[in-house]
Amino acid sequence: MVYAPLALPWLLAAGLAALDGRRRSVGWVAAGTLTVHLAALAWLGLDVFLDGPRETVTGGWPAGIGIVLRADALGVAFAFVSSLVLLLALVYELQSGGSSRTFPALVLFLAAGLTGLFLTGDVFSFFVFFELSMMASYVLSAHGGEARQLGAAFIFAVVNLLGSFVFLISVAAIYHVTGTLEMAAVAERMTLVEPASAIAIAVSVFVAFGVKLGLFPFHFWLPPIYAGARPAVAAILSGAVANIGAYGLLRFGAGLLPLELELTAGALAVLGAASIVYGSAQALSRRATAEVLAYSSIGQAGYILVALAVGGRVGYAAAVVYAVANSLNKVLLFLAAGARGPLVGGAFALGALSVVGLPPSGGFVAKVELFLAGLEAGSAVLVALIVVGSLLSFVYMFQIYQHDYWRARPAEPASRTSVRLLVFAVALLVLAAGVWPEPLLLLGERCADVLLAEGGG
Amino acid sequence: MTVLTAGVVAVIFGSGAYLLLKPDLFRVVVGIVLVSNAATLALMASGLSRGDPPIAPGAGAEVSDPLVQAMTLTAIVIGFGVAVLLLALVYRIYTSHSTVDLDELSQAEARHEAELEREQVEV
Amino acid sequence: MTGVLTEAVARLLLAPSLILAAAILVKGYSDVGDGFTAGVVAGLAVLLQYAAFGYRRVERVLPVRAAVGVALAGLALALAVAFVPLLWGAEAVTHYPRPAEHVVHVGTVELLTAVAFDVGVFLLVLGMSVGAVDAFARAAGERREP
Repeated sequence: MVYAPLALPWLLAAGLAALDGRRRSVGWVAAGTLTVHLAALAWLGLDVFLDGPRETVTGGWPAGIGIVLRADALGVAFAFVSSLVLLLALVYELQSGGSSRTFPALVLFLAAGLTGLFLTGDVFSFFVFFELSMMASYVLSAHGGEARQLGAAFIFAVVNLLGSFVFLISVAAIYHVTGTLEMAAVAERMTLVEPASAIAIAVSVFVAFGVKLGLFPFHFWLPPIYAGARPAVAAILSGAVANIGAYGLLRFGAGLLPLELELTAGALAVLGAASIVYGSAQALSRRATAEVLAYSSIGQAGYILVALAVGGRVGYAAAVVYAVANSLNKVLLFLAAGARGPLVGGAFALGALSVVGLPPSGGFVAKVELFLAGLEAGSAVLVALIVVGSLLSFVYMFQIYQHDYWRARPAEPASRTSVRLLVFAVALLVLAAGVWPEPLLLLGERCADVLLAEGGG
Repeated sequence: MTVLTAGVVAVIFGSGAYLLLKPDLFRVVVGIVLVSNAATLALMASGLSRGDPPIAPGAGAEVSDPLVQAMTLTAIVIGFGVAVLLLALVYRIYTSHSTVDLDELSQAEARHEAELEREQVEV
Repeated sequence: MTGVLTEAVARLLLAPSLILAAAILVKGYSDVGDGFTAGVVAGLAVLLQYAAFGYRRVERVLPVRAAVGVALAGLALALAVAFVPLLWGAEAVTHYPRPAEHVVHVGTVELLTAVAFDVGVFLLVLGMSVGAVDAFARAAGERREP
């Protein structure tokens, strides 16, 4: 049951890689695969929701020898959201006719990598799946771009590879000090490790995932790649691939290294705040829509880090809810920014509201959670930061809305109806998350419980 | 032994990081390959133990830790794939810009942006 | 660019390298060796042909155009070995025969599903490296002599 969502995209990706992705049928087979994959994840999610985490060991080996696959609320939630983003971006690209030879297969490889990464209970196979998905995204980032996009793609690949290898070295360090790769056992034994080694491991893990997420001091690769990529690719990178960073920080920070997380909470909060301020300020000074959205992503990553720094049930829940809402916002905004015509403006406006955190959008729910976390921490600075960050995002989102939709622009034909309907459907999804927030909130609480149980808090 | 390996890892990682800062993209690729090898060596060192190969141990002989070897092999495979990917990317940059120098690339980009700006002003 | 000696050495080395690769591949289950190493050795043997003869002559003699297909077939084989056991309810990547069960021998080669998995890895690595080298060589060659 845990395998179905993993095996499906992988097998189909290997098959589709041999075929020409520009053919409509190939693209639609990929989209169909992702749909079935999503259904399998939903089924698995329902099962996890009702009966608790599911664990299985590959190869029929006894536990401790084979690789452990573990589906819990946190992993399934991230896998589902990321695959949903991939499906939406794939359908968008097929409808707007930008698919290339390898695009559908790459999206499926990415889905396989991400699913494996979110469902594995083993530190090293986490790295392997992580590299599988990153390699697919390196190739995707060069997809369909102009010649100058290649330079940005190269820098993206190099910086992220450096992050990956820093992570690999911390995996080696984790194995060296704990003698195991299984996450649950690592979490247990980590408490007995010398503080000096544990902090060194925690810092390298943080650097690795900070790079993935595009946090403030590690962000410099992000704007050129998001701004230069095709809308669907930008949506995939910011809505699905960036989830690796958020998930990694939650799983490794809150799950495996809770003591170190608590110890460095102050520093994390400062970095998160710097990310928010820097991202918002840079976004304010930009005019091109994609660039504003790229810098906005840096700011949004900061909120997740701040929530993580607050910690505890409320903080972790806020981080999860924020990460999920942010994924949906980003896919909506990048896709809407690439389309033209009726319905698109309204969808973009809703996405903008969601980034700012105004009702009736999913972003509102996330901001409220974050606000509660700030109150829980009892920090006036944090609450003020959230308010100021939201105000800044209101200004820059309004700026681009005004720039893009209020001015009459000559000679820009409307996008195809199907593209506009797709964007509108994503907007409805974000709206639904705001109007009926209970599932999202419940999800956040379940994930926080998983992390607290794992971290032994 | 641990100190020696740690030192070697540090030197290789440092050389890789130094090459990463060069503007020549080819050197950057070599830098990443060096960094990947430093990580591989660190992985190998994380479970360093003396013994027979785990696949065919002699009778009663001690067996070295098979897990690090499996991990190292996987990491080597990944490093190999990454190197091919980066070289392909550099080659595409070379065919479309006729240079692999980051400084020249960014100069070309700045010129391109200045042109765009001029066009916008004219419109 | 390359002399007679290089060409002769390259030609002489091809078959032994491929046999060495096959040996590494099948020895992997009773001694040190595996599919990836075998793939790299075989890939290097083909790379040497490119260096010595240039891509046009290699393409005429060796079936390098099939490289990508070989790589994908290898990937499909490895994935099949990993996931087919799910069909009868076993865990993924379950290998047969199970530990302590009887193994069929062909000469000194043991027939295990793990060998099939490694053959998949071998094909994937060989196909990938030859495909990449061929793509680079062809692109560079076509630039030089359009």
